Amino acid sequence: MPATKPERTDVCIIGAGASGAAAAKVLTERGFRVVALERGPWRTKETFGGDELANVNRYNLWPDPLLNPRTYRQSADEDAVVDLFCPVPQMVGGGTVHWQGWLPRFAPEDFRLHSVVGDLPGTSLVDWPISYDDLEPYYTQVEWAFGVSGLAGGNAFEGPRSKGYPCPPLPLSRYAQKFHQGARRLGWNAFPTPQAALSQPYNGRPATVISAFAQQHGDPTGTRSSALNVFVPDALATGRYGLRPESYVRELAVDASGRITAAVYQNEAGETFEQEADVFILACGAVESARLLLLSTSARFPNGLANGSDMVGRNVTFHEYSSAIGLFDDPVHGWAGGGYVSASSMQFYNHDDSRGFASGGHIASAGVGIPLPINWGLPDRPLWGPDAKAMDEQFFNHSMAVSIVVHDMPQHDNRVELDEEVVDAWDVPVARITLATHENDLAMGRFLIDRGADILAAAGARKTYKVYPERVTGNCSHQHGTARMGDDPEVSVLNKWCRAHEVRNLFVVDGSPFPTGTGANPTLTIMANAWRVAEYIADTHGQKGN
Amino acid sequence: MSTFFDPHQRATIAAAMARIIPTTGTPGATEAGAIDFLDGYLGGIDRIYAKPDGSGFETLSGRRADAWRRRIDSLRTTYVEGIVDLDQRSREAHGVPFVELDEPQQDAMLAAIERPGEEQKLNTAQAVMGFAPVEPALQQVGAEISLSFFALLALHTRQGFYADPIYGGNRGQVGWQTIGFPGPSSLAEVHTGRYTVIDYFADGTHEQEMDISRARDQA
Repeated sequence: MPATKPERTDVCIIGAGASGAAAAKVLTERGFRVVALERGPWRTKETFGGDELANVNRYNLWPDPLLNPRTYRQSADEDAVVDLFCPVPQMVGGGTVHWQGWLPRFAPEDFRLHSVVGDLPGTSLVDWPISYDDLEPYYTQVEWAFGVSGLAGGNAFEGPRSKGYPCPPLPLSRYAQKFHQGARRLGWNAFPTPQAALSQPYNGRPATVISAFAQQHGDPTGTRSSALNVFVPDALATGRYGLRPESYVRELAVDASGRITAAVYQNEAGETFEQEADVFILACGAVESARLLLLSTSARFPNGLANGSDMVGRNVTFHEYSSAIGLFDDPVHGWAGGGYVSASSMQFYNHDDSRGFASGGHIASAGVGIPLPINWGLPDRPLWGPDAKAMDEQFFNHSMAVSIVVHDMPQHDNRVELDEEVVDAWDVPVARITLATHENDLAMGRFLIDRGADILAAAGARKTYKVYPERVTGNCSHQHGTARMGDDPEVSVLNKWCRAHEVRNLFVVDGSPFPTGTGANPTLTIMANAWRVAEYIADTHGQKGN
Repeated sequence: MSTFFDPHQRATIAAAMARIIPTTGTPGATEAGAIDFLDGYLGGIDRIYAKPDGSGFETLSGRRADAWRRRIDSLRTTYVEGIVDLDQRSREAHGVPFVELDEPQQDAMLAAIERPGEEQKLNTAQAVMGFAPVEPALQQVGAEISLSFFALLALHTRQGFYADPIYGGNRGQVGWQTIGFPGPSSLAEVHTGRYTVIDYFADGTHEQEMDISRARDQA
């Protein structure tokens, strides 16, 4: 049966998560007609609730590994095993639906790390083709669209900002208080973690409810800030946003000149459509965007769309999350606020030669694990029996973590490809991750965990645990690097405007363009960069023929 | 509500759960009704997700329903085979099935089927990430169906003790009470935004805890 062709549109965006919805807001508000093809469902706040079992343990929002597997191996000579490596919710709003939204800015140094560090053997470290100053106006745009709660000037290592935060910090959790106390005694800078939540009413939304069900839970009150709560309504309000959920794009079709003509997608019933547009924007997350490029083969692009350089999928980075854990005599209620209404430090973020490894990472207070009754635990808690129960009773309210974001180094051979055997529930080859962990990642992890334990001890912890990362496991839902932006088409996929060197009407706006992963939570920067690119598209494609 | 276990299987699992979270000075798996939680879970796919307002359970369809049918089938097999194995070991050692052993004998039998390496990895991963979305240290497709019988039973006992009471366990919120978690009175309380735990935050503000002058010096 021939494919149905819906009405042609100005811009087709694949994905309606953080970056796709940000781009949609900007473009629709600039007068463009946008069609968004989102493979997941369009869920509303009424479908979210405070159910730890469903949300944390039963894939209510997470991708079901039986439907959306990936495969993983540590090097090209290993067999890949099925593994849901670095999952991110696939739905309108994407990962911002269930996050707790730590939104630090990257540091100025992040954009020129190769210049700062020099060559690091085994890595493909490069400078970005853009600077902190290029992004700064868009950081401000996103922070003010979201109503981010934070304290301007609190982070001593932040770059210059043109504007403060729109909302003051969220209330002080006990675990954030401990973090401040420990850092202060050590002489280290700490600040309230900037957060995608409202400390006061903002733009018609009431202040965020301080619940225990936040991290990994959708927000039934709609008071946390997300792409679903902010960008999607803004785009819809223009009347120019055609948001189609349950629309699985299988291929981007090109003409003989190498220009994309249509996104070929299937709806839930399996019917095929071809959506034509002037411009196509990929916003699927760095793993899935690379997968779609690699699936889109043609005579012009036999190795995948925009992949003449063989760079699509390479240099992938994921971060690694780990924790130092402390036990306190007084209650810290690590679950209150969901465990992530936190305080942070960038004291060990910027590069320092004397530490013996390159770069650094963000550290912050948090609950232990997912700090709710089912999913809380301690490293030495037995699995069962009276001792296990006694530890639950004694320490559930008396434990907290200092958690770290490891800035994993880019490596040429760390990559996303198509698996040759495993397919998803739609019979499409899944992403295969090949990922070796660099010694720099492990050294940084040990150092940051040790500093976290220092803070806990200085805050009065009676016992601390250190969980050193042993490898990059993809446990952050952060993905970057699979379509690097750069000035040289030989070693990058996109130019500095995130337009494909080889395909004039293709842009990628999720984490794929990031040449390095940095040591900070990436979604603020992903949204700011998407905003920047969308403004560029609006500026240049307003002129026909471009 | 459909259930899965036959009477002997149910009695065996209930006895094991009573050793995994024992009744001490405080209630355990027995008082929480953890066996009802698990028997209902394995009964089919009609109790996978509670409706977020607490008014019942979601009806699954399409690929999602297919995946859950596969998952429940796999879990049932693990339980059926695990119970047979447990009884066989008990008969070999003591001449009676597991459910007729005394408590120290049951503890020894459960310890014999533990896989300490697997469980240690689970503990560490849980302390960092919770059990979701996957158990990265085990490199498996998903925490639940890839677990061995005992690790699965321990996980389900924990879920039956601590999950929202709508799933049949944590009866009267006894699990939450034993650890001092002030959970909501119902899912509806969260759904309508009435549930807040701001009282468990600190007094004061971030600014009061910070050394602002040092931030300025370092910048």
